[in-house]
Amino acid sequence: MTTADDPTGRRDRRRDQWQRRRRLERRLHDGAALRISSLALRLGVLDAPREQIDALQGEVASALDELRAVAAGIYPPLLHEAGLGPALLERVRATGADVALDVTDSRCGPAAEGAAYFALVEVLATSDGPLAVTARRDGTDLVVTIAGADPALAAAVADEATPLGGDAHAAAGTIVGRFPCG
Amino acid sequence: MRVALAEDGALFRQGLVMLLEAAGHEVVAVEPGGDELLRALAGRPVDVAVLDIRMPPEPDGGLVTAERLRASHPDTGLLFLSHYAESHYLVRILEIGTERIGYRLKEKVGSVDVLSDTLTRIAEGEIVIEPVLARRLVEKPRTDRADVVAALSDRERSVLELMAEGRANGAIAAQLFVSGKAVEKHIASIFDKFGLHADATESNRRVLAVLTYLRSQRGEA
Repeated sequence: MTTADDPTGRRDRRRDQWQRRRRLERRLHDGAALRISSLALRLGVLDAPREQIDALQGEVASALDELRAVAAGIYPPLLHEAGLGPALLERVRATGADVALDVTDSRCGPAAEGAAYFALVEVLATSDGPLAVTARRDGTDLVVTIAGADPALAAAVADEATPLGGDAHAAAGTIVGRFPCG
Repeated sequence: MRVALAEDGALFRQGLVMLLEAAGHEVVAVEPGGDELLRALAGRPVDVAVLDIRMPPEPDGGLVTAERLRASHPDTGLLFLSHYAESHYLVRILEIGTERIGYRLKEKVGSVDVLSDTLTRIAEGEIVIEPVLARRLVEKPRTDRADVVAALSDRERSVLELMAEGRANGAIAAQLFVSGKAVEKHIASIFDKFGLHADATESNRRVLAVLTYLRSQRGEA
């Protein structure tokens, strides 16, 4: 199997990338975000006019909102802490997307969960209609199905699944993506 | 008020102590993790314990610590502070308790007034929820599993949103410019549409109304 392309090595590198993304989010949370939040508290005890403090704290809150948006694009903390189901549900609630979710509680590792999550975020962002999403554990794979989306979006799912040794296709109006756990 | 604090970030810990003391509260214990806090509070009850959610014991030590504190010191109020306002954690927090409990963003308690108001409401038995989260919970109920919430009128949904922030009827009436009687009527209608009947206490029904919405979206209703 190990050719000049070395698919096994490529998969391992891809897995490492997901681990790195997860650690980057944690660094943002423990570093910059905490430093800026504590600034908000320190501003609160300054001896300065109320309106000035409110305006500065507003700026601090906006900076934190932007950091949260960046962190969500790197690796959502809820995905690591609670899994694919809670992370997707939070996303659906925050965006108001019309999606029915049925997602397994069983965990599948940061690479497969990250790849499946961001593939689904991509599909959600480019779909209007009601979607039905399921995720099931099948042996050592996480299998995701998306009903109601444009079948051409299978390519977006494949972009995330194949580097991990998985695949994606569309059949009978449903996109099916397979993400190897580990 | 007597307050204890557990947070693993030293800078934030120091900032919060400064603010608590400026607000005239007595800070009884300041600890970097949940286990240390439990040890510190063993013989010294406090009015409210302030907990970071994401701290040792990992991954979400604040929640584990809160469960233990609720069991050993049921009268102690619990205020969770987090960098993230997530409905996932709100559900877990409300499973720990529906009274004397709160969940706010770290940067949103940055004034003496807001911090003291939050602590006082918790110590008095209320639920205090970050407004941005309360709003997100009750607006845009567009999934097909939100039928139960879709059955609410716009006015009832506004009332539910304010309930989710832990507001009492008087405050809801003032905010919506309606009478207290009208608010009671809307709440009774929400309870009725959610199937929450008089066998629960008023406070529990209020929380259950919010949970019903959350669970309707998780497909558990």
